[in-house]
Amino acid sequence: MAGEGGSGVPHEAELLAFADAAITAGAGLAKVRQLVVGRMGDDAMHDAAAVIAGFDAITRVADGSGIPLEAQKAEATAEWRDRLGIDAFWTMKV
Amino acid sequence: MRQELRDALDIAWDALGAAGVWWTGAERVKIVAETRAARACDLCQARKAALSPAAIPGRHTGATDLSEAAIEAVHRIVTDPGRLSEAWYKRLGASGLSDEAYVELLSVVAITTAADTYDRAAGNSQRDTPVPREGLPSRRRPTGAKPGLGWMPMLAPEDVTPDDPPLYEAGGRIGGNVHRALSLVPEAMMQFWHMFETMYLPQHAMRDFAREYRAISHAQIEMLAARVAVQNQCVY
Repeated sequence: MAGEGGSGVPHEAELLAFADAAITAGAGLAKVRQLVVGRMGDDAMHDAAAVIAGFDAITRVADGSGIPLEAQKAEATAEWRDRLGIDAFWTMKV
Repeated sequence: MRQELRDALDIAWDALGAAGVWWTGAERVKIVAETRAARACDLCQARKAALSPAAIPGRHTGATDLSEAAIEAVHRIVTDPGRLSEAWYKRLGASGLSDEAYVELLSVVAITTAADTYDRAAGNSQRDTPVPREGLPSRRRPTGAKPGLGWMPMLAPEDVTPDDPPLYEAGGRIGGNVHRALSLVPEAMMQFWHMFETMYLPQHAMRDFAREYRAISHAQIEMLAARVAVQNQCVY
């Protein structure tokens, strides 16, 4: 997964690399953690780690309960879900 | 590290050792152990790599004496959440795992995942397994829970009775579908959400773009959330 998507969000590359390494328990986690601390500070690293961990959990709550996306959210996000291929995730459920 | 974050994680972790609503403290600690063991399970790894997980028979490399249905639930939620389905869920029910027990199990897996992922990301040692405490499950099911939204009955905000814990009122939760996901066991829902809102943002702060509540911005928070959702192939 590429680490730079050109979103314009500050420190995008470091944060995305941190998320990827944390979720996959990648070998580069310690290095990228230090990169985040060095460029954004210790508090930012901890808050980023908390968001990553919280969503690692809540995605399981959502997918483990069968809740649907709310109709208004589905409508509002239809175009970019299609563009990003997120709707294809449904076809993998067996 | 924010003190409230440290406290929220510690409180949620400690509560895993206490009796829940449908599982004893000892059983909840076994769910924690099984959550951690799932990542090293050979069957889970083979299923994860397969085009269809149902095509790969076998037994999980379990760490506990939980029922086979409970072990299957924990391992799949941990290792392949994006491919869980209603058919899979119904098979668990046919194997004896009740809706209520499953929902509480899901909350324990989620809290364990949150704590372990946080500690891994932040460079902390993995927490010691919670100490199981005496006590019996209360086995109280909310009378207003109804089927129809997800795979199991859920308690909508308008169906909460005075006998139910304030699962939406606490935290000013609006009752979105993801709030309702664990609502069949209100205590489990509240334990998870108190921790989660401290890790992410409380309801009132989510769209308050005039102020930043964390050491990273709203935009950075949402970007991270989206990245993790894609990594886990979460359609919600």
